[in-house]
Amino acid sequence: MKKFLLIALFIGVFSMLCFANGQVEEKEQVKELKLFHFKVSQVDQWEQIAKDYKAVNPKVNLTIETVGGAADWSTTLKTKFAAGAGPDIFVVDGPALAMTFSEYLTDLSDEPWVDNVLESAKRPMIFNEKLMGMPFNIEGYGFIYNKEIFRKAGITTAPRTLSELREAAQKIQAIGVIPFGNGYSEWWVIGMHLMNIPFAAQPDPTAFSAALDNGTASIVDNQLFTDFKDLFDLTLEYGNKNSLTTDHNAQMALFNTGQVAMVQQGNWKEVGIYEANPNADIGILPIPINDDLQVSNKVPVGVPFYWVVNNQSDLQEEAKDFLNWMVSSEKGKSYLTDEFGYIPAFDNIDSNLLGGISNDLLAFAGKGDTIPWSFTTWYGGMYNEFAEHTQKYVAGEITYDVMLQDMQDSWVKLSK
Amino acid sequence: MIAEKRTYKVTIAEIVVIFFALLFLTPFYFVIINSLKPFGEILKSAASLPKSLTWGNYSNAFEKINFLKVFFNSLLITTITLVLLVIIGSMTAWWIVRYKSRFTTILFFAFIAAMITPFQAIMIPLIRVITQLNFINTRIGLIIVYMGYSTPFTVFLYHGFIKSVPIQLEEAAIIDGCSIPQIFSYIVIPLIKSMTTTVLILQALLIWNDFLLPLLILTKKDLHTIPLAVFSFFGQYTNRWDYALATLVLGMLPIIIFFLVMQKYVISGVRAGSVKG
Amino acid sequence: MNLIKKTILATIFLGPATIFFVLIIAYPFFSGIFYSFTEWNGVNAEPVWVGLRNFIEIFKNDSQFLASFWFTLRFTFTTLILTNVLAFVFALVLIQPIKSRGPLRTIFFLPNVIGGVLLGFIWRFIFVNGFSALGDLTQFSVFLLPWLGTPATGFWSIVIVYTWRSVGYLMIIYIAHLLNIDSHLLEAAQIDGAPNYILFTKVILPLSMSAITVCLFLVLSWAFKSFDIVLSLTAGGPFRSTETVALNIYYEAFSYSNFGMGSAKSLVYFVLVGSITILQVFLTKRKEIEA
Repeated sequence: MKKFLLIALFIGVFSMLCFANGQVEEKEQVKELKLFHFKVSQVDQWEQIAKDYKAVNPKVNLTIETVGGAADWSTTLKTKFAAGAGPDIFVVDGPALAMTFSEYLTDLSDEPWVDNVLESAKRPMIFNEKLMGMPFNIEGYGFIYNKEIFRKAGITTAPRTLSELREAAQKIQAIGVIPFGNGYSEWWVIGMHLMNIPFAAQPDPTAFSAALDNGTASIVDNQLFTDFKDLFDLTLEYGNKNSLTTDHNAQMALFNTGQVAMVQQGNWKEVGIYEANPNADIGILPIPINDDLQVSNKVPVGVPFYWVVNNQSDLQEEAKDFLNWMVSSEKGKSYLTDEFGYIPAFDNIDSNLLGGISNDLLAFAGKGDTIPWSFTTWYGGMYNEFAEHTQKYVAGEITYDVMLQDMQDSWVKLSK
Repeated sequence: MIAEKRTYKVTIAEIVVIFFALLFLTPFYFVIINSLKPFGEILKSAASLPKSLTWGNYSNAFEKINFLKVFFNSLLITTITLVLLVIIGSMTAWWIVRYKSRFTTILFFAFIAAMITPFQAIMIPLIRVITQLNFINTRIGLIIVYMGYSTPFTVFLYHGFIKSVPIQLEEAAIIDGCSIPQIFSYIVIPLIKSMTTTVLILQALLIWNDFLLPLLILTKKDLHTIPLAVFSFFGQYTNRWDYALATLVLGMLPIIIFFLVMQKYVISGVRAGSVKG
Repeated sequence: MNLIKKTILATIFLGPATIFFVLIIAYPFFSGIFYSFTEWNGVNAEPVWVGLRNFIEIFKNDSQFLASFWFTLRFTFTTLILTNVLAFVFALVLIQPIKSRGPLRTIFFLPNVIGGVLLGFIWRFIFVNGFSALGDLTQFSVFLLPWLGTPATGFWSIVIVYTWRSVGYLMIIYIAHLLNIDSHLLEAAQIDGAPNYILFTKVILPLSMSAITVCLFLVLSWAFKSFDIVLSLTAGGPFRSTETVALNIYYEAFSYSNFGMGSAKSLVYFVLVGSITILQVFLTKRKEIEA
């Protein structure tokens, strides 16, 4: 009996603990500002930011919630909202996800930082002429290339068009190096970043998407999608074998060991490359879709995520103040450039970067030679389906025409 | 003669099984050797032995994720859940076996059904419940979810075992005037000890390694568990294998030790439990 | 024992488990049923009632759902056989008085110490980086295959990882049950001079039937639900050829933001898996001998 009582006691105490737990923490003068982000690698910096902000603004206690890593962070965010526990400030990766949260967005158009945001970084988050999100930084991707191999192959100028790229690939192959390291097993390499090119290269990408929505345009008979075949085939013809086995890690392994001359990746890989080879001589090339210099010589640059303020929150003003502090105070700015190593999305913040990829990207951006990240506007599930169709083409399961038709069908299905 | 022939055959079987065991170990070979290489070398040559041992990954990982803290969190959550699970699971299973009624039958089938329910089906409503109860970002909230989630399997394991435990001892105790709680604590609990060790091992693994639920419920860094910490080295576009593997090894060690300790009891427990009439 | 006392005791013994179960599983499950009749992106405030539309859509227009069901069936069946045969054989060997017994048991159980999502990542790393490195070294054709790059290698990679993961777990259960078999029975049969295969089919196998029921059920319930390993190992690729149903439901609910549709799919799936599992338990239970 004694033992039994003990167990009953244990359960009793435990359940009391359960109920007690819900009641503490309520009465406090300090306001609890909840911020949600998914860059798990930045957890420590964010904790520090919370402390620094508290020093300036003792009334606000910034609580950082970090979810993400390899896991689908947007799933967690959606789950939180579904459960009625949305944070005060959170991130979305672009207009498509923002639309999912359309009931929760706050207008940020009148914030003091708005004028300093790069125009291209602002555009995607403008709905009904209201700016609904704040970018921190820009990222870009393209063909990261090994300049040493290019020199050995006798390529003196960086390729700007498809023909120039083909020529370069032939020269590289001639010296026994594989020109392209394709990571086509990775859905975002093929279904998102690569497929972005024919969408973003359209004269007016937004209008093109709208035309696809209302059926006045089609992927099947669009000239740029026809052009795209040559580019796609070029990477396959001069690429590593088993590209459907190669994920982004394997891709970087090929590149870092000098087995391939180019990989389609972005500036997020820069740190890793220099860590593998501190003296790496690298740069980034556009992904040229055809021979028209006006179209081909542009790199896709976009904003990886936007900060948005939850309009259901009681602390909207506090949230806006904090975001403003991040991009206007010296302390806040130094986090962006020094701690996070970002290419800022603001014209009044100087970047602090030395790497070959970032420098090339900045040069392209400075000349305005950029195309947008159209994939951030695609409907949910589009990446999955585009990855499916393009991978089938790579595997030789379907022809290029069927691939375009399947993509068109996916668009129609998902835009419903 | 027969005995000798059997030994010979057993030896061959042993060799075959050892071969399989070596195959089973290969992933651990990859994990351990790569946890001792710098990041660049991991990507260059994944299969070869490290050129020199980089213990820095371990000290770095240890520091970066505040290992002691996440270890404590994992330990606390796992231990409390296990204790509750064993007590509540065995009580429930015993009652279901010994006092069969319409309600217990329905309950048992509901538990079985729970074991085949895909988690995605209940994920959003579940988090809704936890939020409404104010349990988000509390360890207790996570423990309660584990209780709900792991009780069915625990009851299932105990149920199968208790069925094979002879009822005579309990009947004799009733005649001697023991109350039901007494019978349960002094007779049943010792009898099902071996299944308790099995339950402990199996559930400890599930809870120690679980990723999705802590991810959804514990979003504050102070509360993070070991799997969440390992994942902090995987980004959307980049994976820091060097730190992640080192953290993984650190996180594996406690559970391996736990298994080694418990393994002894599993076997002796099974022996003791097999004395039956 | 009077009725009141019994009710009180029943409440103490069954109450906690029932409460946890209702709160964490039953209630969310039933609200999931409600959502399956709605259109809802999971985020916005109000789900819209659409009646049976989601269910009609699943059976009429969703070939990918059926494809993923077929994949899951093939995968479950293959894994079911492989894991149980290996686990049973290992258990039989590892109850013999051999020196390496302890370490071997530990080794087979070891894969369980790594959690699902991570395990998928590690194996992905091995299939992609490790195998190609081994292939360059040894030139064995098996390492040079395009692992994870074709539907076939994708399928087998998942089977391999699942088998690797589950064998030790099942082996423990088989060992526990085999040690419980009355050794007198085996000795009696041996003294009678029964050959090994007779010993196996007529004595050991029938006596292990209850363990086999449990292990088959376990693998069925795991494999049918398989999600985390597949997500991090292949993510359903290449071209969605290795998409399990759980993954399909996950994408539907969270990538496509159709939580209503996702709920409907999981309900359909729950019924299908439930029927298959009941059938299995029914079939193997018939062969069980009450020990």
